[in-house]
Amino acid sequence: MYWRYAVRRILYAVVMFAVVIFIFSALFNTVAETTQLAQITEQVNAEVRGVQQASQMQAEDIQEWRESRRTQLIQQYHLDEPIVSRIFWRTLNTLTMNLGQSTRIRSSAGENDVWLIIKERIPRTLVLFMTAVAVDVLLGVWLGLRKARKAGGLMDRTTSIITMVLYGLPSWWLGMLMIMIFAFTISIFPSGAMHSTPAPTGGFAYFVDLLYHMALPVLALVVLRFWGRAYITRNIVLGTLQEDFIMSARARGISERKVLYGHTLRSSAPPIVTMSLLALLASFGGALIFEGIFSWPGMGNLYWVAVQQNDIPVLMGNLALTTGLYIAGLALLDLIYGLLDPRVKVGGKA
Amino acid sequence: MKRKDSSQLRAFWNEFRRVKFGTVGLALFAVFVLIVLFEPLLMPYPDANDRWRDMTYWLDSPRNAKPVWVNWFTSKDYAVADTIEPTSVTESQVGSLRMVMMEFEYDFHYQRPPADLQLVTTLTGNASIQMELIRPDGASLNYQRATSSSGTRDIRVSVAQNLQDKVFRLASAYADPDVIASENPETIDAMATMFAAAEPNMLRATNPLEGTYICKLTVALTSADSRVDDAMLVIAGGVAGWMGTDASKRDIWSGLIAGTKWALLIGLVTSFVSVAIGVVYGVVAGYFGGWVDSMMNRIFEVFLSMPLLPILIVMGAVFKPSIWTMIIMMCLFFWVGPVKTVRSMALQIKENTYIEAAKALGASHGRIVFKHLLPQLVPYAFATMALSVPSAIVYEASISLIGLGDATVVTWGQILQDAYASGAVLQGTWWWVVPPGLAIALMGMTFAFIGFAMDTILNPKLRTR
Repeated sequence: MYWRYAVRRILYAVVMFAVVIFIFSALFNTVAETTQLAQITEQVNAEVRGVQQASQMQAEDIQEWRESRRTQLIQQYHLDEPIVSRIFWRTLNTLTMNLGQSTRIRSSAGENDVWLIIKERIPRTLVLFMTAVAVDVLLGVWLGLRKARKAGGLMDRTTSIITMVLYGLPSWWLGMLMIMIFAFTISIFPSGAMHSTPAPTGGFAYFVDLLYHMALPVLALVVLRFWGRAYITRNIVLGTLQEDFIMSARARGISERKVLYGHTLRSSAPPIVTMSLLALLASFGGALIFEGIFSWPGMGNLYWVAVQQNDIPVLMGNLALTTGLYIAGLALLDLIYGLLDPRVKVGGKA
Repeated sequence: MKRKDSSQLRAFWNEFRRVKFGTVGLALFAVFVLIVLFEPLLMPYPDANDRWRDMTYWLDSPRNAKPVWVNWFTSKDYAVADTIEPTSVTESQVGSLRMVMMEFEYDFHYQRPPADLQLVTTLTGNASIQMELIRPDGASLNYQRATSSSGTRDIRVSVAQNLQDKVFRLASAYADPDVIASENPETIDAMATMFAAAEPNMLRATNPLEGTYICKLTVALTSADSRVDDAMLVIAGGVAGWMGTDASKRDIWSGLIAGTKWALLIGLVTSFVSVAIGVVYGVVAGYFGGWVDSMMNRIFEVFLSMPLLPILIVMGAVFKPSIWTMIIMMCLFFWVGPVKTVRSMALQIKENTYIEAAKALGASHGRIVFKHLLPQLVPYAFATMALSVPSAIVYEASISLIGLGDATVVTWGQILQDAYASGAVLQGTWWWVVPPGLAIALMGMTFAFIGFAMDTILNPKLRTR
């Protein structure tokens, strides 16, 4: 039953997310609380100023009011409780997307709620990353199959060497070079951002403008990574090609093309999908750095801004949401795997 | 058992030697090790390690100079950065004054002038200095006086400073009235004009005047204890060093050499520690099975569910790590890599009859794990180690790029961060952006070659079909 497997896998992902968020809350408890206390003090001071102007209160009264308000806020945020319960509350708040207020960063509409700041950036990151993933997987699997067909041949060897040469090359560095070459030396691509300013209106023009701005980052991401994808595909396919059923298919006189694309690809599909998506999830981090280089206003860019402005609440919230997306990606991977490989559902992996 | 191990290793080595790119990788690795060993010989600025961020150390280099080999590819050569010692020093007594005259000869045979000439010296006690610059055609320019009254003081007389008016007057003697009228003293390229041939078009500085430029330094020492020491002429050329200089005048080649050992250290330590942990973890989980296995699996999956770079960034921002704590942080998350494969390998190996025999002989769990299981996984562990070195280096570089690196050491990532933060990408200062990234890529390639070579030996069926 696929849906039972799916439900179990999704539940498992939710539990995993909760556990990881709990670990983060414990790990970064001190710094998060320091920031929150500072924010409370700031808030109380602002309120005191307002009260002072509204009513002519005596100095002692103000002091008293300030203290009581402060205690009230501290109680409200559970900061007076023992540490375990504080961590618990923080975990609960993070899980319910109560990420608090940012210290400096604002959303494009001017709000300082961390959830709103990050929410508007999630689709931007996804659109860039998904496009890169799609192009990457298509090109990688295609090249991998061609390599496996003539394994040990000239093309296989040269592309394998290219894979190794590019293995340790930071993709964001390639991004820098591409900006230097294609945006400044010969300016045929924009150096960054998601849209021209002002962004063109109208569905099609908007879309074309988006593609134009996306071209350079996607190109830089794909050019480096699809070799690795091809290499993995090649190895998996080569492993399958040595199976007995392939030999029997060949013996029956089925054309080489059919053997490769029909028999081999079908049974190699699950590991290929897992391996490539897993590798892509691993490159998710690199893609975040990428956004900073290309001033793509997504979640990765937010890390840069938050680090530069030392905005701890935004940093924490961003980490929580990135982790959520990452775990969702892992779950999705297993779900796809379950679809492709029926054995998984029965075995009750998860 | 021991003898069998060493013969296995020899067989492995014999096979490894036959993989061509594997040997290339080993050779490159040897080169990197040699660079680390001979670091002091290779670095023109020996204190680059400790004083990389100390701007006073780099005062004598030009700013944003290109690499020297740029001259091999251009027809209009840039002046090479240099420091020149005085060719002659004469001392004479004039009344109560002691006069020290020094001459510096600068052979200028380039098409593009240096950005500046600076006279650097140390004056002690009462003294005043004066400088005169004589061009090969005899024209001369007089330079500002600098005085020192007491104590020891470093004096730096810059030729390029306030040069516009002087050079404009000089050039006006030769130039066309039309040209003079059309040019503004404020906007002419003063250094280019000073190194230009005296002709009507001099102000536009089209033809450089090659030859020996003489810089005369006259120091008047007024009191008995006055002294002048360490005088030299610094040529702030347009090209300097093998990799040029950055916007803070630092020699990029020295930075690259200094960063090599950190890259090797980060990569090797992180990959060794994390792979060792991961392999032992996987073997233990696979060998014991049952509840130990499932508990260890849960912990493993929690770690697998954390996106590496974001959490490293946040930890970097919160804990402000040194290079060592950064390595520890990376080990904390890197060990998950080999676990899954190792566990399944251990599951296979433990079914062998010799494990059963060892158990029957009363061997302890520890003995079985360390004597029978782990040795078989060593080749795989080494391949994984080699392949995880590049990612450790890239992760460190990425964290540094965001500005969270350890500021007490020089790493390639930090050089890139400096470049990126000061807009080298937008200004096209390629010699600042390309070499550090290339170094990272080259080291990554080295370990990829080694790792993939081991991989092909371990999985023979991957070679051909």
